[in-house]
Amino acid sequence: MSTIALTAPAAMPPAPAKTSGYLVLAPSCLVLTVFFALPMGTTIGMSFTDGETLAPTLAHYQRFFSDGLSLAGLYRTTVMSILVAVCVTVFGYPVAYYLARSRSRWRAVVFALALAPELAGVVLRTYGWLIILEDRGFINDALLNLGIIASPLPLSKNLFAVVVGLTHVILPFGILSLTTSIQGIDPNLERAAQMLGASRLSVLRHIVLPLSVPGIVSSLLISFTMAASAYATPALLGGARFKVLATMIYEQVLFYIDWRFAAVMAIALLLMMLTVSFLGIRYETRRSNRRTNSEGVFS
Amino acid sequence: MNATRYLPLFLTMAFVGAPGLAVAESLVVNSYGGPYEAIIEERIIEPFEEKTGIDVVYDAVGSASQDYAKIKATQGQPGFDVVVMTASQSLQGCKDGLLEKLDAAVISNLGKLGPSLAAVAGPCGAVHEVQYMSLLYRTDKLPSPPTSWSSLLAPELKGKIILPTFQNIMAVFLMEIMSVARGGDMIDHIDPGFDAMAELARQSIGFEQSSAILESYIKDGTVWAMPFWNGRAQLLVDLGVPVDYVRPKEGTIPLIATLNVPVGARNKQAAMAFIDFFLEKSSQEAWVTSYKVGSARTDIDIPDNVRKRQITTEADLKSLKLPNLSHVAEKLSEWGERWERDVVSQAN
Repeated sequence: MSTIALTAPAAMPPAPAKTSGYLVLAPSCLVLTVFFALPMGTTIGMSFTDGETLAPTLAHYQRFFSDGLSLAGLYRTTVMSILVAVCVTVFGYPVAYYLARSRSRWRAVVFALALAPELAGVVLRTYGWLIILEDRGFINDALLNLGIIASPLPLSKNLFAVVVGLTHVILPFGILSLTTSIQGIDPNLERAAQMLGASRLSVLRHIVLPLSVPGIVSSLLISFTMAASAYATPALLGGARFKVLATMIYEQVLFYIDWRFAAVMAIALLLMMLTVSFLGIRYETRRSNRRTNSEGVFS
Repeated sequence: MNATRYLPLFLTMAFVGAPGLAVAESLVVNSYGGPYEAIIEERIIEPFEEKTGIDVVYDAVGSASQDYAKIKATQGQPGFDVVVMTASQSLQGCKDGLLEKLDAAVISNLGKLGPSLAAVAGPCGAVHEVQYMSLLYRTDKLPSPPTSWSSLLAPELKGKIILPTFQNIMAVFLMEIMSVARGGDMIDHIDPGFDAMAELARQSIGFEQSSAILESYIKDGTVWAMPFWNGRAQLLVDLGVPVDYVRPKEGTIPLIATLNVPVGARNKQAAMAFIDFFLEKSSQEAWVTSYKVGSARTDIDIPDNVRKRQITTEADLKSLKLPNLSHVAEKLSEWGERWERDVVSQAN
């Protein structure tokens, strides 16, 4: 009878000490503290103090809510960011779906084209749109020369121009976010549905779209926050008649030299972005929980 | 890599190299890029380096307002020793304690500047250049040169003028001039100025902030007349663009450029020497004839054709309207809000 020599099991690797976890976190915490928390704390402090006496005051906030222009700037920023987020997600989704599912040799080319705008700087791309959209620009010039219009169409220095410019700038980020999400969906689900007679549109509507909601939410949030904090594109394409909070902050800092009021505007912008991000994340978390619970009932 | 192997080399470099670096005196001068940079390098910086042996590092990053924001954010230690700004920033910087007060005992040429302009810039700014807001027009479109700022409201210029945004100080100056022309003043009774600017906004194709973009409209003929700094206007004339400029009969307000030294500048002695050199008679003559601007020195010798278009004489200086820039700074926020409501809303 053969015997099996029993040997002591190999020693388990020791559980990582709590301190090593903190050590791993330390560099990023340090970076966040130095480059985000401290400047943000300073900004908040400035917004509540008087410029001359440094005494605590709410005067800057009162001005923000009473002058009319600041709230109008906040409103314009919100509308612009929502439109950009929707445009990026709507235009980015088909491209992302193609990139996630296609096996064509053109896939690499489409991927490169989708990301190509990032190779040129934001200012350069925005000037490109200015050349196309302004009163003396390519579109108006062509339409005027063809006799289709008698005077230039208002294509620049307004909300339309800024949304077009920012959608172009942010689209690659939306595509990347959506592609990753769609790639995570098991393609067998789509095949199974098609084998059971579902049309491609039905598969997209009832399987792919619902399962890619996390990617859609992510794309909307990324696009919204990037649009809300963008400066160069609104400054160049919006001009004097379409000012958003980012351009108004710049003016307060550099022209009016009123850093305390600029701090209030910056905090308003941050709160707006945090609120939208919070709502988006909460929606996705609740949706995910509901899905997990309903799956649990049938498992 | 065995770091200890290289330790003697590092130590040697540290002890031998560091004093060498400290001995070589260099001065960081911050100003503008483009044609300004080329001209200042050739006419001011190179002669200064030859005369003093001080090495100048030219930093062309940032506009005057961006430079001032940098000085403010760093509590007077922005990394440059001399900066070109305007009288507005000189006054603000002095008030905030961020700019050095300049001493005529150290910078002897300060005493040669016209006292009225020197006073506008305050004790922290050395006026090295004067431009004025001119009325620039297309010579091929207008049958006769405009003579008044009110010419901008002429029916034939409907849709053919452009205005600077409020964040370009030229807009504030134009409003003040129009206010005075219509019976108001430059600070307290500014309502006529706002009324005039609202009319001009209805007459205009809109607003632009940057001088480079403003000039592109008159270059391509989209715009036939607009307010513009005369130095840049002269550059357009010299380029052969069919434009010319006038100093309208109501008068004009100057753009006073200053040399300043941040309180935390590392090379203050060299900075003061540079300012003194820039204000010397020969340097001012070189600057006025090359950059096509005026000077706060009235004793310079320049050709007549340059003199008649620039601010260079006592009579020229007296003809300028000089608003109290500190009071203007106090009013800017209030005026800016009113501008958005009353003027921008009127634009086509």
